[in-house]
Amino acid sequence: MTEEPRIGVYVCHCGFNIAGTVDVKKVAEFAKTLPNVVVAKDYVFMCSEPGQDLIKADIKAHNLNRVVVSACSPSLHEITFRTAVSEAGLNKYLLEMANIREHCSWVHHDKEKATEKAKEIVRMAVAKARHLEPLEELEVKAEPSALVLGGGVAGMRAALELANYGFNVYLVEKAPTIGGKAALIGYIDPKTKGPDVVSKMFDRIKDCPRIQVLTNAELIQLSGFAGNYNAKIRINPRYVNEKCTLCGECEEVCPIEVSNEYNFGLNKRKAIFLPFSNAYPPYYAIDYRVCVKCGECEKVCRFGAINLKEEPKTIELKVGSVIIATGYDPYRPFKGEYGYGLHQNIITLFQLERLLDPESPTKGELIIGGKVPKSIAFIQCVGSRNTTPGAKEYCSRMCCTTAINSAIKIKEKYPDTNVYILYKDIMTYGSDETLYEEAGKKLVQFIKFEDKIPKVSITPEGLFIDVFEYTIQENIRIPVDAIVLSIGMLPPRDIEELIAVTRVSCGGEGFVREAHLKLAPVEAPTKGIFLAGCITGPKNILESIRMGSAAAAKAMSLLSKGKITIEPMIAQVNEEKCSGCAICVGVCPYSAISIKKVNGDRIAYVEKALCMGCGTCNAACPSGAMQHLGFKDIQLLAQTRAVFGGEMNV
Amino acid sequence: MSDSKGEFEPKIVVYACNWCTYAATDLAGTSRMSYPPNVRIIRVMCSGRVDPQFVLQAFADGADGVIVAGCHPPADCHYIEGNYKAYRRFELFRKLLETMGIEQERFRLEWISAAEASRWVQVVNEMVAQLKKLGPLKPNLEVRE
Ligand code: SF4
Ligand code: SF4
Repeated sequence: MTEEPRIGVYVCHCGFNIAGTVDVKKVAEFAKTLPNVVVAKDYVFMCSEPGQDLIKADIKAHNLNRVVVSACSPSLHEITFRTAVSEAGLNKYLLEMANIREHCSWVHHDKEKATEKAKEIVRMAVAKARHLEPLEELEVKAEPSALVLGGGVAGMRAALELANYGFNVYLVEKAPTIGGKAALIGYIDPKTKGPDVVSKMFDRIKDCPRIQVLTNAELIQLSGFAGNYNAKIRINPRYVNEKCTLCGECEEVCPIEVSNEYNFGLNKRKAIFLPFSNAYPPYYAIDYRVCVKCGECEKVCRFGAINLKEEPKTIELKVGSVIIATGYDPYRPFKGEYGYGLHQNIITLFQLERLLDPESPTKGELIIGGKVPKSIAFIQCVGSRNTTPGAKEYCSRMCCTTAINSAIKIKEKYPDTNVYILYKDIMTYGSDETLYEEAGKKLVQFIKFEDKIPKVSITPEGLFIDVFEYTIQENIRIPVDAIVLSIGMLPPRDIEELIAVTRVSCGGEGFVREAHLKLAPVEAPTKGIFLAGCITGPKNILESIRMGSAAAAKAMSLLSKGKITIEPMIAQVNEEKCSGCAICVGVCPYSAISIKKVNGDRIAYVEKALCMGCGTCNAACPSGAMQHLGFKDIQLLAQTRAVFGGEMNV
Repeated sequence: MSDSKGEFEPKIVVYACNWCTYAATDLAGTSRMSYPPNVRIIRVMCSGRVDPQFVLQAFADGADGVIVAGCHPPADCHYIEGNYKAYRRFELFRKLLETMGIEQERFRLEWISAAEASRWVQVVNEMVAQLKKLGPLKPNLEVRE
């Protein structure tokens, strides 16, 4: 840009968030002394309407061609201020943020030092701003289709929304049936069970030609970019096809028995099995991981539905977007955690919930260790809220409500059974609070513990729980016949593979992190990838469903125009300087660069739609020919020099 | 640089990858952690973007230390393997520094994930303490513009 930079600097107070530690007036005064700064102001909330209007008015009044907003992190409000400057007619890439909140006022306490640091951060931003250039967004064609990973409630809801809108959807599920955990357990409200919700969704999905359900399937490779992803899916053999009539004769003859994950290990299943009665697709499946190919089932099947020669296959799909909804795993108590694994009458909440389901091995009867317990105790926060060394810090949201709901159900059916709930705090959100009251009326006994967690003893006389009751401040000992551990949620076991393939990233708790909690709560940092359900952290069924809808809506709004804009911060070759050495070609992780002949000379060429804007080629180019727009050498060098008050000439 | 009491306050330039370390530095802020104000952070999209030339410029201009920080290998890199490229480049570069009379301790390549705000704080604390021990850098290098 040949035009002389005219920079406006806007220092935000962020209420007291910044102004409490940084002398914002001094920072603004200092900014006025910096080269090319025409105007510098401070204001209480720059991101507010009036704050943005201030910038817009100044752009016109002072003929500004660069803007520096000295406020919070660019990850928070860069978009806001880019929009503001573009509304005032300025190219939106002529904005630079100086992060004086997260990087300064929030982490330092000495007002003088923080103010000095803030000044330097502003000086660095101004230095970069002097070298900013207008950039144009690019448009590429986008496929109105989606890959939904995970067939639980969140994934199914997302798939249905997208299909209703006219998108083609591939619903990819690792298990042989869709439905997820809500197909087995859980409640939306006391009258509506997870399995009821799931079966309604199955009915819709069956009737929806736009949704292709791929079970036993997993994403093994993802390439491309928003609007144009290429997904490689491996489909593991099911060995049973649609000729299956669910007669179940195969199951009788199968010699292999394994723990039944669909009953959370309450019983066993065969290698050939039907996960649950209305599983979808509605055929038996052979667990390819445990089948020994003895051929017994194949012999006995009268419908020719079994083919043990089936091979895994890989298919490739072209999709515009990806929705990740691969859910969670239940917390796995360690052996001996509240006696878990040491006594058959100590079970998890997931097992209890399943036990109470009409399809359970006891047909819904509360039979634990051979009989109906005369007294049963729930221990809350197992694996959550730091109760044990292996436990997570967070609350898993659903365990209190689920335990209370089950306690009520038990009291209704077995009024003589004593039910205890041992808890740290009861977190019954919203209208679930009425359940808590109802449980009290039904004489469910609530026992509060604090930091000292209850102790389970397994004795020849039976099970005992010793606990220091916090409200009465006394040690008590409760004899019980059965104990239910209210376990929380963990990130799914295979999250590492998911990260490796999709390049999403994890937050501190091990769940996938949203691009931004407030501004992009269902988006992954990579454009075109969306998140739904428990993959971002514990949620109840309803919340997962809502997030499925939200993620679908976001995917639709991105792709509905049939084209999308891509960030222009990509690599650009200066053909004059390029020597054709091809070093950049080798370092680009996306194969976006090739060497072309231009008038007989070898010159690097960047395929814009493929470039993801990492800038690696820029760092590798020995001739300074390759430049990362928005992060050019001169821009980053100017920023570096400005730390020490040095300058790069414009 | 020295503060008002005349004590040596090292200045550290940090090149932080947008997806991991920059996010961690933000998280340190939102979590109201606390660390010494000696660092100046420059955002890049990937640690693979960082050119040794920037680091040399920083030292030449007066930095007492430089940190290049990105996502954990093997698989955290948002751009597949930019972190490896940074690793290869800067392991070589580290040797070069010594020949210029810049102690190796003045340069750190760190992997800090978006969640590791406390790791970030630890790195800053360590580096500040280390540089205080080393004292100011008196470079004997010239960087041409
Ligand atoms: S910036 Fe360079 S290395 Fe990175 S994706 Fe684009 S062309 Fe490839
Ligand atoms: S590395 Fe630089 S000089 Fe070599 S081909 Fe790529 S752009 Fe051209």
